[in-house]
Amino acid sequence: MNFVIAGILGLGFGFSLNKAGLTKYHRIANQFRFKDMMVMKFIMTALAVAMIGLYALRGLGMITFPTAPATYVVGNLVGGLIFGVGMSLVGY
Amino acid sequence: MKFILNYIRKDTWSPYIAGILLGIVVILTVVLAKTLLGASGAFENLAAYIGKVISPSNTYFNYVMPAGITWGVLLLVGVFFGGMFGAATSKTLKWGKKDATNSDVQWKRVFGPQTWKRWVLGFLGAIVLEYGAGIAGGCTSGLLISGGSLLVPAAFLFMGGMFASGIITALIVYRKRY
Repeated sequence: MNFVIAGILGLGFGFSLNKAGLTKYHRIANQFRFKDMMVMKFIMTALAVAMIGLYALRGLGMITFPTAPATYVVGNLVGGLIFGVGMSLVGY
Repeated sequence: MKFILNYIRKDTWSPYIAGILLGIVVILTVVLAKTLLGASGAFENLAAYIGKVISPSNTYFNYVMPAGITWGVLLLVGVFFGGMFGAATSKTLKWGKKDATNSDVQWKRVFGPQTWKRWVLGFLGAIVLEYGAGIAGGCTSGLLISGGSLLVPAAFLFMGGMFASGIITALIVYRKRY
């Protein structure tokens, strides 16, 4: 049952990525050149909506947060630096 | 109703509408599955099958990212078909078409028209990308969007690093045309 939910959520995830144009090279490459701010607008909107929704639901006592990604300052930064090279190069 | 259907058929939505849709998916993930969205972890779960054959006592593939068909792998299958469905609704699906593997005009202008170049660069770049995601503990979806919505500091450190090196890489690739 859990796997069915995963598939359905994946459908929504992939659909939104496609409609925002994140499946195209030029969108992501142009974000890093600041010619096209679509990626940033998309990510920040998703972030804001998810943030409000999750904190509201927790405030109402309807959910508990799952295990959050761990913070280890140097690892996150170095990982982000390496990730950025790949992302800017291939644009996926 | 017709307005909504026409909007679904559009190739590119307003990023705000698409962002709201993704935000709702993130919330539903936590409500229904009690976990977070994430794409890069699933690739590591699959790579662990090969990793275990090459090095059976490897700590990373035995304890951090064990092999298996996990929740994330099924999510990736959904993402694949969701993306195809999105392209099909706007009739931009390139499955089986002549220029299916390399149709991006800007890519051709920057790197050249050869298709093999895109395959090679895509493969090498994805190795770099996945390696970075492994160190940071997530990718754009798993760490930046899911972690960020829980206000995890790691997400914002990751975003800073990602943009710093992404801008520099774009500068090197585009040089004068930046």
